[in-house]
Amino acid sequence: MTASLARFLTYALLCLLVSRQPSPALAAESEARQRLESTINAVLAELGRPERNDPAKQQEIMDSVEKIILTLFDFGELSMRAVGPAWLTFSEDHKNRFQAAFTNLLRERYLEKLAGYDGETVTYLDESASKDGRRAEIQTSVDVKGTPVSVAYCMTRKDNWVVYDVVIERVSMVHYYRDQFQELLSKGDVEQLIRQVGDMAAKMRDLNRPRQAAQ
Amino acid sequence: MIPCPPCASGTRRRFLLPGILIFCLLLPGAGPAAAGPHPSLEEDDPFAEYEDNRVPDPLEGWNRAVQSFNDVAIDYVLRPLHRGYVAITPDPVRTGLHNVFYNLLFPVRFVNNLLQGKGLAAGAEFSWFILNSTAGLGGIFDLAPSHPAIVPVEEEDLGQTLAVWGMKETLYIVWPFLGPSTLKDSLGMVGDTFLDPLAYMDPWIGFGLTAVKTFNDLDKILDIYDDMRGTAVEPYSAVRNGYIQYRRGKAAR
Repeated sequence: MTASLARFLTYALLCLLVSRQPSPALAAESEARQRLESTINAVLAELGRPERNDPAKQQEIMDSVEKIILTLFDFGELSMRAVGPAWLTFSEDHKNRFQAAFTNLLRERYLEKLAGYDGETVTYLDESASKDGRRAEIQTSVDVKGTPVSVAYCMTRKDNWVVYDVVIERVSMVHYYRDQFQELLSKGDVEQLIRQVGDMAAKMRDLNRPRQAAQ
Repeated sequence: MIPCPPCASGTRRRFLLPGILIFCLLLPGAGPAAAGPHPSLEEDDPFAEYEDNRVPDPLEGWNRAVQSFNDVAIDYVLRPLHRGYVAITPDPVRTGLHNVFYNLLFPVRFVNNLLQGKGLAAGAEFSWFILNSTAGLGGIFDLAPSHPAIVPVEEEDLGQTLAVWGMKETLYIVWPFLGPSTLKDSLGMVGDTFLDPLAYMDPWIGFGLTAVKTFNDLDKILDIYDDMRGTAVEPYSAVRNGYIQYRRGKAAR
């Protein structure tokens, strides 16, 4: 009885050890999460600076936040995925101009939200990675005034781990924009799409500036 | 949130036990599903997973017209009225009203949890209902969030149940005043009224109370709607896509 118990424990231990062997997927999860966590911590540290209430310092802090965030996102990948298969027909010039316009749109859309930061906390819930270790998804929960909001970051390994999609409450940012861009491309051409995205970014910037100045 | 009035912990436990014992232990436990990996995680092709996933929109002409009508109704009728309502109604009254209506709709959430085989969530809903209906004075006070034994659960409806049972959205439709929906969710909405106590009242009173319920919570809908409309490059596709993704996400949990 004791011998069989010892044999069972040995097998169990062996199974446990084998299952914990480092794999590309496990390493990817860990690296991607570390990269995400360190970037988010750096952003929260900036947003939590005591001098944030000083109007003279606010712009400086938001500029610093923007600089940190821009290193985390791969806007080329985001643009490609948001446009969808039509991206393959874009010229290099179209791709560059679209990416610039879309980056501006996302900056105005999401950075403005951070300007209203009020001590929200981020909890890291789960991680998963593709078998080849090239892509990873990190599940987080952001506590917004007591209500948990699920935010998942889809990341891919390039020179460093970068984000190519953000899924908020199961709504993928890439898919949300892809439907719109495909609709616009079905009714117009690439030039019109780039102009419409640029116009919307400019419109949002005009709306955001007075709000930021008032804060 | 209205603060929890003092109540005996023994009372809470007495009401919690039936819920936990009957619905969590006897029924198959299938709480909210853990979020799975992103569908494209194993895909090398960044365009692959999306194309076959669209909901048909054969009524696009009608839908666009109704969305424009809803935009006008929101901007010129509902928003000004709601602003006035917020100005004259104290926050605790609005929160209390929200809680009472939420509590009244317990049968919808409870039955749909059961229909989806979510025994643990049904148990939590049951405990939540009993606690708030008694110690919470008919649902005015929402005591459940502060109770460690009641885990927060997803709000279930028949549209989600039909999705869990494998029904497709079939088509996208925008209803006047009610906003975006699909054929599946519209059927669900009609089915859920059979479990809505307000539907069994005198039609005028029931309709009036339903209007009050919707109006009381309108600010949350207005916030999302304004955010989408104000930031979308193509608002119609944005609302359609946001709605479909949100509903699919809810059904997948």
